[in-house]
Amino acid sequence: MSHAVLASSFDSTTQFVTPLINGLFDGAAYGLLALGLVLLYKSNRIFNFAQGEFATVAGIVAYMGSTGYGYMPKLPYWLCFPIAVLASVVVAMLSQLLVIRPMFDRPRVVVVVGTVGIALFLIGLEGFFFPTTGVIEKFTTHLGLSSAPGTIDRVQLPWTGIVTLAALVLLALLSFLFFRYSPTGTAILAISQDSTAARTVGISVQRISLITWGLAGLLGGVAGVLIAQNKPMVPGAVTGLALTGAFAAAVLGGMTSLPGAFVGGVLLGLFQDFVNADYNLVPGLEKVASPADFMFVLLILVVLLIRPRGLLGKEA
Amino acid sequence: MRAPGLALRGLIWVGLGVLVFWVPSLTEPLAYNATIGAYFAVVGLSMNILVGYTGQLSLGQQGFFGLGALVAANVANTGVNPAEPLTFAFSLICTVLIGAAFALILGLVALRITGLYLALLTLVFGVAVTSSIFGIGAFNGNDAGLKANRPDFLVGGMRFYLFCVAILALVFYIDRRLVASKAGRAMLATKENERAAEAFGINVVGTKLLAFSLSGAVAGLAGGLAVFLPQTFSQKDYVGAIGFNLALTFVVIAVVGGLGNRVGVVVASVFFGLLPYLLDSFFNWAGWHDFYTNRKNFLPGLIGAVLLLDTVVRRPNGLGFITTPISRWLTGHRFTFHGDEAGGEVAADVRA
Repeated sequence: MSHAVLASSFDSTTQFVTPLINGLFDGAAYGLLALGLVLLYKSNRIFNFAQGEFATVAGIVAYMGSTGYGYMPKLPYWLCFPIAVLASVVVAMLSQLLVIRPMFDRPRVVVVVGTVGIALFLIGLEGFFFPTTGVIEKFTTHLGLSSAPGTIDRVQLPWTGIVTLAALVLLALLSFLFFRYSPTGTAILAISQDSTAARTVGISVQRISLITWGLAGLLGGVAGVLIAQNKPMVPGAVTGLALTGAFAAAVLGGMTSLPGAFVGGVLLGLFQDFVNADYNLVPGLEKVASPADFMFVLLILVVLLIRPRGLLGKEA
Repeated sequence: MRAPGLALRGLIWVGLGVLVFWVPSLTEPLAYNATIGAYFAVVGLSMNILVGYTGQLSLGQQGFFGLGALVAANVANTGVNPAEPLTFAFSLICTVLIGAAFALILGLVALRITGLYLALLTLVFGVAVTSSIFGIGAFNGNDAGLKANRPDFLVGGMRFYLFCVAILALVFYIDRRLVASKAGRAMLATKENERAAEAFGINVVGTKLLAFSLSGAVAGLAGGLAVFLPQTFSQKDYVGAIGFNLALTFVVIAVVGGLGNRVGVVVASVFFGLLPYLLDSFFNWAGWHDFYTNRKNFLPGLIGAVLLLDTVVRRPNGLGFITTPISRWLTGHRFTFHGDEAGGEVAADVRA
């Protein structure tokens, strides 16, 4: 294709502004999930394949709470969100107590297989108890807000996207401060560097690990309730929708860097939406079954081979 | 050996023979699902070579399996006619070659990456292969699927089942010989400790590449068998969430069977291959249709997850804890839970 044809067929709204805005907001969801992945990698040096399901659990609980699912009392709308996040914190902590803790001195590959098991188990449980679910009411609709606070070049800025991005910025900042200044955060880092030395100075490895998993559940839960306003929370929803993306974001930003998860998430969202907006950017891509997933995968591959520590990470 | 023990063992061997060779011939669905069990067992053994012996966790085995199916369907591409026996044989040989070739490429990439990142890489590989190659119209019959009819002599369900069992037996035998060979011992040593193995003069790079290509070859062969069962190839069976589910099922099979434990892996594979059919039959018999319909897709995964978690948390040998004593007893030794355990730790100690 010649340059002139490209230039004449370029529509700034659909090919630039829309992917820019949507990419930013989609990226925020990836970033939130990636934040949880980085947290657990930073502290325990494991990949948590169950992170997506911590989010789905929160999404499903929020859905159950707000609709009643036919046989439960409907909860007040705003109460659903804290309960949902609490549910995924509880699930994450139970995972640590029942699965991760007994595997304390086992090779890390085995622990990763354990997290795969947790993910499969949660998907199975969700499917068993709540096989059919839907989208929860958007809180903006509940508040009576218009669907978009503004438009840029005819493209609407969605409320849920703005809130997701704000949540990502806030949580990334909070976790960064948590690791930098709080005693618990420092203890988590100490254990990840040398758990024996950390124990000799009186840090309880198990207690800290439990707290870390709870925090990962918290991050997953927040991601879950935010995603649930746009996507139906079928069993395994977030794993299917966003886990590859979250891993790509975390690897791109650097598995050990919390700001990296933020940067990686946003970059990845932009990347995805620009690729989806215009397949011509990558020749032959229109033939691929799921273009976005495929591009994520190539991205992970390239980063792993060229710069395994990612953009902002300090070590692989 | 005393006479009663001999008689009991003989009886159990006969019972196993009846279960494997006679029970599937009772109904057509039984033969069909038993075939699924057989080719799942072949995939299970391929996982076992990579994960069990060499300690390289693979979350992308559906890539090789799917490639095998794709290649077999494309080579045979029968239309309405049955495949020529030679074409059929050639298509299966192609599955072995393509599986080995792609696994070798993955292995070469994997040499740069160790430990947990390798698991991530294999996951990425599986998704990449299935979501790219499988989407190309020239390979998937322009999204309409391809016909891969069996040759005349394998048309009956039971005959094809016996053919798959024969392939399984062959792979099982090769696997057995492999472990007894120098290459097999090199794999086990690589799994235990790469640096120590290298210090003893083992070519760790070559061993890993061998393990990858053998595993890919066997998984590709299983994919070839899988496509000749329904006799059509549809790329939807290997792409996206379904493909990922397949990959996880293979991981569950390898872990629950007990990594490095041949018999356990075969038993676990057959169980998971038959599980959907068993559940269908059970709920039909019990008459809980309303309960079952919505949950159909989730029950096998839930059962698999419970078994997987139980295995990784409580018994690293998986089914090996029971299959090893039984198979030892069946081959004429004393029944004991102790003695030389196969398997050992679930996967390699990765100090990366």
